[in-house]
Amino acid sequence: MIFARVVGTVVATQKDENLNGLKLLLCREADHSGSLLNAYHVAVDAVQAGEGDFVLISYGSSARMTDVTRRAPVDAVIMAIVDDVQVAGSPQG
Amino acid sequence: MRLGRVIGKVWAERKTESLRGCRLLLVQPLSSEGRHEGGPVVAADPQNIAGPGDRVVYVTNTDAVQAFASADPPVNASIVELVDSID
Repeated sequence: MIFARVVGTVVATQKDENLNGLKLLLCREADHSGSLLNAYHVAVDAVQAGEGDFVLISYGSSARMTDVTRRAPVDAVIMAIVDDVQVAGSPQG
Repeated sequence: MRLGRVIGKVWAERKTESLRGCRLLLVQPLSSEGRHEGGPVVAADPQNIAGPGDRVVYVTNTDAVQAFASADPPVNASIVELVDSID
């Protein structure tokens, strides 16, 4: 899973019929502290996310493992809305 | 399977149904010598066995889905073992 911030909505009228009814969101990848990175992903929304939300995206074949994406040709799904990330001290080896 | 150390927790009240009750942890990947390898990843903990500070073994992608006994959740990494020691 990767962290991302939802930055927009993707509207597409002509698409694979297995994508009908799915909400596509434009997400900008972030690190665990919320700092934005220079990578964007289009992800299907499985948790009623909205613009501005800090989310987790699952990618690859795992992205099809939700009720909304089960038979859809997708490789990224928003599967959690992040409330908080707690880092316990500084990471040690 | 990869080696890592749990360095934190991810709190997410709203997540897909198949992940309800499952903790999500922040894991720093390690080499066998204990050096950091890349940045932290988010891993599910299907057996609820790990906490901050623990050294763990985790699996990725389709294997991460298989680590769950009763559901096929949308995860890319799952913790499968706690490491006691490495010889």
